[in-house]
Amino acid sequence: MDGPDIGWYLIVAALMFGIGALGVMMRRSPLIVLLSLEIMINAANLTFIAFARQQGDLGGQIFALSVMAVAAAEVAIGLGLIVAMARRRIALDVDQASALRG
Amino acid sequence: MIDTPSVDWLALSPTVALLCASGVALLATVIVPAWMRRGIAAATALAGFVVAAVLAGIVFDETPTPEILLDGSMVRDQLAAFAQVVLAVTGAVVVLVSWSEDRRDNHGEYYALLAAAGAGMVFFVGAENLMTLFLGLEWFSLCLYILVAIDSERETSLEAGLKYLIVGGFGSAVLLFGAAFVYGATGELSFAEIAVADTTSDAFLLTGLAMILAGLAFKVSAAPFHMWTPDVYQGAPSSVTAFMAAATKTAALVVTLRVLVTAFPDQSEIWTIAVAVLVCASLVWGNLAALAQSDVKRLLAYSSISHAGFMLMAIAANSERGGEALLYYLVPYTAMSVGAFAVVAARERELGRPVTLESLAGLGWERPWHGIAMWTFMLGMAGFPLTGGMFGKLFVFSAAYDSGDWWLVLVGVAATAVSLAYYLNVVRWMYMRTGPELRLVPAGGSPPRDSALSVAIGAGVLVTVGSFFAVQPILDVAADAAASLPF
Repeated sequence: MDGPDIGWYLIVAALMFGIGALGVMMRRSPLIVLLSLEIMINAANLTFIAFARQQGDLGGQIFALSVMAVAAAEVAIGLGLIVAMARRRIALDVDQASALRG
Repeated sequence: MIDTPSVDWLALSPTVALLCASGVALLATVIVPAWMRRGIAAATALAGFVVAAVLAGIVFDETPTPEILLDGSMVRDQLAAFAQVVLAVTGAVVVLVSWSEDRRDNHGEYYALLAAAGAGMVFFVGAENLMTLFLGLEWFSLCLYILVAIDSERETSLEAGLKYLIVGGFGSAVLLFGAAFVYGATGELSFAEIAVADTTSDAFLLTGLAMILAGLAFKVSAAPFHMWTPDVYQGAPSSVTAFMAAATKTAALVVTLRVLVTAFPDQSEIWTIAVAVLVCASLVWGNLAALAQSDVKRLLAYSSISHAGFMLMAIAANSERGGEALLYYLVPYTAMSVGAFAVVAARERELGRPVTLESLAGLGWERPWHGIAMWTFMLGMAGFPLTGGMFGKLFVFSAAYDSGDWWLVLVGVAATAVSLAYYLNVVRWMYMRTGPELRLVPAGGSPPRDSALSVAIGAGVLVTVGSFFAVQPILDVAADAAASLPF
């Protein structure tokens, strides 16, 4: 029995990427923004794996694996920054982070 | 027995040198007593950058033709080596700028991250496939996110760090998604193979190309992907801002040139137009917004956006002369931006608050050397003769004109004329304003001597002026480096 066509995987990935991008742009909590960034990165991973499977090439899968490690590091830094801000009792709201403007 | 790819250690040596320096600096924070930490960490980072510059110079000398390394993931060529020399020298000067930065602790971490970010950039410019491209990009970006936020007792530093992380992460995700589409369309990751592969779908390939270009434009801080730049440059510690303005831009521009020329030669008609749009947006927005700034770091941030526009113009030319012009432009540009931020850092340390145009009043009379240096940098950025900035603009314009982009030249000339207004305004504030601001200097006379910073500013002036007089040798080297790309 055949599984779903690669097109379906790409549609799911595109939807995830769109949801993630909207989340980064519209949500106010930095935690949710970080989560949305992860969704975007995982959409790209899904695309890589789908194409790798379609072409019978391992390159894309290895790429996806290394991206996971990078994404984890990025989130660790983001959470660290959020903790540092919370300790200094800065409001955790990206709309209120506006000490810097010109 | 597994057949492992052979490793060319000489080509990787600049990266390895900086990584070692980073590791030693980090170890120093744990092992040595507190009072020695800053000295040891700074000396290690400085040594790492100097050694990396020398090694990159040796690689430049010993690589007449490009070689693909490590199973098609890295490339050893003169373009990468040239960029590595520029990056490593910039890093060394930034270490000098950071030396007496007012920081409670975290000195070891600061220099370790600076060296690690340098290692990432040096690795990034030698990337030859999409995976090393993405990993290199993230490698230095992750270090920079922490560096921007390292003064965690300052609210603006944290805010800048979070903004940079979010916008930079967004840019990387866009680049990654684009890379996935290019991989899907061609089945290849390596640039050279993407160029020759049979594409199954032009739509995927072009979407991927557009997203990769957008992702790199975030790092180059070309408009309309520049919105993080002023905030982050303003909030970050001044030495980190200097490093980002000079080194991040150098690395991202060189890689943009390499990706577009080696991986997408068949799509050049499309990407030259896309890059030209970025050029116009950056020149217009960067210069007009700079006119309205009163914070000097923000002003320099907008000026760096407009310089990104000038340098992308050389990429839009898509010719060997364009490559040459870009590489030449990088030399005076890195010197001027590091130097200008170093003068701002000096003033900031003296006054203990952010530097605005008002607080530059009288700087030219009070601190004559800083004043002379600052006007050299400002006139250089505006493209006056006797600075390399003039030849940089001239070469970029002539490359664009040769490729038939005469309308880009017109935009560039108009942008230069507008930029005179704010660059000369800085000079006017330094020399032609006196007033109550002069009395804001802390009581007790002159600030503590900071010879490391003075050396850094002196190096900036030397390269800015030197690249005017030594234009032919630099151009010859840049021509050799540009020749390693398949135009």
